[in-house]
Amino acid sequence: MIALLALTGCTPTIKIEPPDKPIVINLNVKIEHEIRIKIDKELDELLTNDELF
Amino acid sequence: MKTKLLVLAAGLLLSLNAFAISLHDAKSQGLVGEQTNGYLGIVKSSPDASALAKQVNAKRKAHYENIAKKNGISITEVAKMAAEKAMRATKKGLYIQTKSGKWIKK
Repeated sequence: MIALLALTGCTPTIKIEPPDKPIVINLNVKIEHEIRIKIDKELDELLTNDELF
Repeated sequence: MKTKLLVLAAGLLLSLNAFAISLHDAKSQGLVGEQTNGYLGIVKSSPDASALAKQVNAKRKAHYENIAKKNGISITEVAKMAAEKAMRATKKGLYIQTKSGKWIKK
């Protein structure tokens, strides 16, 4: 019994607390990437114009 | 009178053609090349080359602006992307500009 008490006294307690702030996921990188792909395509079309390039 | 008018008209047409050197010709004659900023640059000064570059660059700018506005990005950014593409597409033997601003034959 004493041994048990001694043991339980030593077990550390880990408290998991949910964050008080909302979790923010940044999607800017993805959007930026998609814009680049779109511009890339538009520029490819532009480059086929003999009067311009 | 009629013949005079005809000659005048023909002369005007010819002079227009003489002035307008095509972009393709100007490139292959080494008069113009692709700059790092997305616009056409003058390699060898000539009135024709200047006029052509001015014309082409104005058109390019309008297109860049259009793309930039549509995608909410700066025109400089668009022009830079275009420059990379244009340089990659430039054929061997034609002029491109280095980062330091020098003209080299690709």
